[in-house]
Amino acid sequence: MRLIDVAKVIRSKNAGPLHVTLDLMFPDKAGFDTASASKSLEAAAIAKLYGVPVEKVTVIPYAPALALKIVIDRPVVAGSPGDRDVYGAQQHRPLLDIVL
Amino acid sequence: MNAAGRLRASGLGPGQEIRVLAASGQLGNGIPEKAFRAGLARNPHVICCDMGSIDPGPAYLGSGTMATSPEITRRDLDLVLTGALELGVPLVIGTAGTAGARPHLEATLTFVRDIAFKKNLTFRMAVIEADILGSELNKYAGAGRSRPLGDIAALDAETIGRAEHIVGQMGIGRFQAALELDPDVIIAGRACDTAVFASVPWWLGYDKAASLHMAKIIECTSLCCVPGGRDAMLGTLDGDAFTLESMNPARANTPLSVAAHSLYEQADPYRIYEPEGVLDISSARYEAVDERRSRVSGAIWQPAARLTVKVEGAERVGERAILCAASCDPRVIERAETIVEEVRTTVAEIIPPDASPYDLIFHVYGKGAVSLFETQRSGQQPSEVFFLVECIAETAARAKAVVGVTKQFLLHHGFPGRLSTGGNIAFPFTPPELTAGTAYRFSIYHLIEVEDDAELFPVRVEQVSGRQADGAVL
Repeated sequence: MRLIDVAKVIRSKNAGPLHVTLDLMFPDKAGFDTASASKSLEAAAIAKLYGVPVEKVTVIPYAPALALKIVIDRPVVAGSPGDRDVYGAQQHRPLLDIVL
Repeated sequence: MNAAGRLRASGLGPGQEIRVLAASGQLGNGIPEKAFRAGLARNPHVICCDMGSIDPGPAYLGSGTMATSPEITRRDLDLVLTGALELGVPLVIGTAGTAGARPHLEATLTFVRDIAFKKNLTFRMAVIEADILGSELNKYAGAGRSRPLGDIAALDAETIGRAEHIVGQMGIGRFQAALELDPDVIIAGRACDTAVFASVPWWLGYDKAASLHMAKIIECTSLCCVPGGRDAMLGTLDGDAFTLESMNPARANTPLSVAAHSLYEQADPYRIYEPEGVLDISSARYEAVDERRSRVSGAIWQPAARLTVKVEGAERVGERAILCAASCDPRVIERAETIVEEVRTTVAEIIPPDASPYDLIFHVYGKGAVSLFETQRSGQQPSEVFFLVECIAETAARAKAVVGVTKQFLLHHGFPGRLSTGGNIAFPFTPPELTAGTAYRFSIYHLIEVEDDAELFPVRVEQVSGRQADGAVL
């Protein structure tokens, strides 16, 4: 099952200038439960997908909004020379290929 | 007596509903007027606006300029100022002028005074500054009372000394101190978004957890709705629960849309960290009142033993120049990474970076220039690529010289199998190299522990007078 067929929102944004946060939102509890239980969305899998050490990744299920939050340390402080995405709004692309 | 004093004298307090109108989460970007007026018609007890954020990057804090245009900033300030004075209720504005340092605050105050003069408005204004002196911050760094808020170096005197502006995010306490001075209008420098919207309910003794949770949601106005938007939001607080309603009837707060807003731009959806403590919303309940209103309760306020203040600072990196060019030649596109590195070497031979170092950065759009993460930079061969070449050097002239030389060698760079001997790149306009102003970076994003924040964020009062006023000064 592909993540893009289950989730209704897959987005990214800065949470302060030092972190990027990725939100996956699901239309129903079944989708949320499937995603929460999937190994593909564990910190280790996300770390591999983004090419960062696992300690840089936090995954937080948020049941009240049927959502999963992923937080990754930014490799560059937002807006510093060498940054590529000041708001961090385009860092969700790797998630679109995930198979649950 | 002025607006704040009248509110308190009216006996408004827990047991009665208090209506907080969130007019803007980004004042200066254009407040939708129809929804704002609908909000005024509901007789709010206070009007609140957030005017800034750290999100647009270090350029604004570094340079002391606003991200919003003077024309729209003025329009929005006029709208909320006039609205609040007509109703006779307090107006609270936080993070003045995008970044909330002294130049941002002063520029905002200049607009406010000018609007007052031209429209003949007279009112009492409390101003709260948020600048933190380097000498003051050094004391915290030296005493081990500061810590980085993520992957950024520990605070030291050199970093503090290089910062163009340093601000602290003030909490609710400073707004309460300002309210005690009985103003009509409060304009604050850098402030916690929540403090702007929760300050009046806290001051009047309302439930702290509910006040803060409501503030956290309405500070982005109607962003928590379906569909999301920027229209004014009304938060109505009574007891330990509050009701949310967008002032645009086309937008609905549903329990799910409101709960989902807790995720937005937050690293932790369950806890909201404030200078005075932590708001735990893990047990919050979201219920539908009707199709477009929700009711929220259940957050828990955990006061901290000591105040913590988030400190932000930006320093100058150099002067930036850029070059805009593109290619649709498959052989150029295929070898783009190699061409770029060879051109970089040639440029370094002509303008050696040793004497006056510079950064030369190639963003090759179409070949993985957007992702911050290395694993995502390959893909299918695109049919076009865009070269955004960026140089940051000590002077604007040098930065422009570097991108100028880069332009010429990128245009005529030879490589095996090259067919495009007329030029490797297309320029969309001339000159394709442009100066882009001073480049900054965030150098300080730290938390400090403070005993008392009164000295960090001083409050002053000013009597603002319209042109026909008798010149009475406080």
